[in-house]
Amino acid sequence: MGLRGRFLFAAAGWFALVTAALVAAPLTLWSRLPDPVAVHWGLSGAPDGSMPLAALLLLDVGLWALVAVGACAPALGRAAVLRRRAGRMGIGALLGGVGLFFVGLQASTLWANLDAPGWRQAAHLGWGVVVPLAGLLAGGALGALAGRPGPDEPPPRADVPVRGIRLRHGQRAVWVSSVRNGWLTVIGGALLASGIALCVLTLIGGDRTLLPPSAVTAVAGLAAVTFGSVHVQITGDGLLVAYGPLRHPRRRIPLAKVERAWSEELFPAQVGGWGLRGLPGASTIMIRGGECLVVGYVSGGRLTVSIDDAASGAALLNTLVAGASAGPALRR
Amino acid sequence: MLLTLDLNDPRPLHEQVAEAIRRAVAEGSYAPGDRLPPARDVAAALGVNANTVLRALRDLRDEGVLEFRRGRGVSVLNRPDPRSVIEEKLRSLLAEAVQYGYRHDDVIELIRELS
Repeated sequence: MGLRGRFLFAAAGWFALVTAALVAAPLTLWSRLPDPVAVHWGLSGAPDGSMPLAALLLLDVGLWALVAVGACAPALGRAAVLRRRAGRMGIGALLGGVGLFFVGLQASTLWANLDAPGWRQAAHLGWGVVVPLAGLLAGGALGALAGRPGPDEPPPRADVPVRGIRLRHGQRAVWVSSVRNGWLTVIGGALLASGIALCVLTLIGGDRTLLPPSAVTAVAGLAAVTFGSVHVQITGDGLLVAYGPLRHPRRRIPLAKVERAWSEELFPAQVGGWGLRGLPGASTIMIRGGECLVVGYVSGGRLTVSIDDAASGAALLNTLVAGASAGPALRR
Repeated sequence: MLLTLDLNDPRPLHEQVAEAIRRAVAEGSYAPGDRLPPARDVAAALGVNANTVLRALRDLRDEGVLEFRRGRGVSVLNRPDPRSVIEEKLRSLLAEAVQYGYRHDDVIELIRELS
C-alpha cells in the first residue's frame, strides 16, 4: 500500500472511530437525557440555550465530517503534502485534535444533562469547560506524533538570490527588529485585565462558579499579549526569536542550523492565516502581512517571521553563516 | 535595524551606538515615521548597557533624527544630516586605510586621483 493508501486507511479509521463515539454515546444514554438538551451555559454557570438531541447529534457529526474532509482534501489533491513530514503532522494534528475536541465537547454536554428532568435543570458545566480544550491539545499532539514516521521531502526552495553584506575585519554587526500587532495587544491587554479582575472578585466573593471562565479569559489575554509582538535579533550567536513584553517564550536558533536566509513578501492568506502556525522544523510566525524574514534550515525546513527590515536581517544572517562555516577564526 | 560597531573604535560607546543607528536610518531601511526596535533589544543584541543605547537615542533626538513619543516608543523624525553620514563613512575609510598601511595623506591623494 502506498503512502496515500496508508494515509487514507488511517484517516478513515480515525474518522469512523470518532463518528461512532459521537453517535453511540447519545443513543446509549437517550433514555436518561432530557429532550431538548442544554447546549449552552451562561457566565453564571446556568444553562441558557437548548437544542433537540437529534439536532445536536447531527450538528456534532456534521461539523466533524466537514473538518475531517477539509483536513484530508489537500492530501488527496496533492500527494506531495504527504511526502513532507510537516504536512503529515499538520493533517494528523488537525484530525486528532478536532476529533477529540468534538468527543470532549459532547462528553461534557451529555455529562451535564445526564438524568436532568429538563434542560433548564441541567448541571453546571464547571471544569467540563476545559475537557474539549484538553481533548484538542492532547489529540493534536497525538495526531502530530502519528504523522511523524515516514519520509521527509523538503519543500522546493524559493528561487531567491542570496544577499550578503561586507564586514571589515574587527567589525561586529547585529540586527534587531520587532513587529507588533496593535489590535491583538490591546484586545489581549483588555482580556487579561478583565480576567484578573474577575478572578480577584470571585475569590473575594466566595462564589467559585465564575472562576473557570475568568481564569480562561485571563489566560487567553496573556496569550494574546504575548504573541501580539515578536522581537528578532541576529548576532554572532545566531537567531533569537522572542515574544511579548516579557521576551518569553524565546527560541534560539544557532548559526550551524541555518543554511541561508532571504526576505519575501507574504500575506496571511498565503500561509494559512494569522498567528503561529506549523510545526518545529517548518513554522511561520505571521502577525501582519508584508515583509517576512525566511530562514532555510540545513535540515530542509524553514522558519518564516513577519518582520520589518527583513532584507537587512537576511543579508546579515547569510554573512554570519558564511563566516561561521569558513572557520571560527573569522567569526567576530 | 542593522547595526555595526567597530571593535577598534576608541570613541565612547554611546557615540558609536548613535553612529550605528544614524547610519541604519540614513541607509533607508527606516523611513520617517517608522518605529525603531525597543532600546532594550538593541542593547541586548549589541551586548551593551541599556543606558548606553538610551543615551545614544537621546543624542539622536537632540540632533533631530529621532522623536520620542509616549506610548509609541522611538520613531524616525528626519533622515540624518548627509554631512554626518559622509563624515562617518570617511572615518571608517580612514580606519580601514590605516589597517592596510596607508597614511591619511595617501588616502587624500587617492581621492584626488579618482575624482
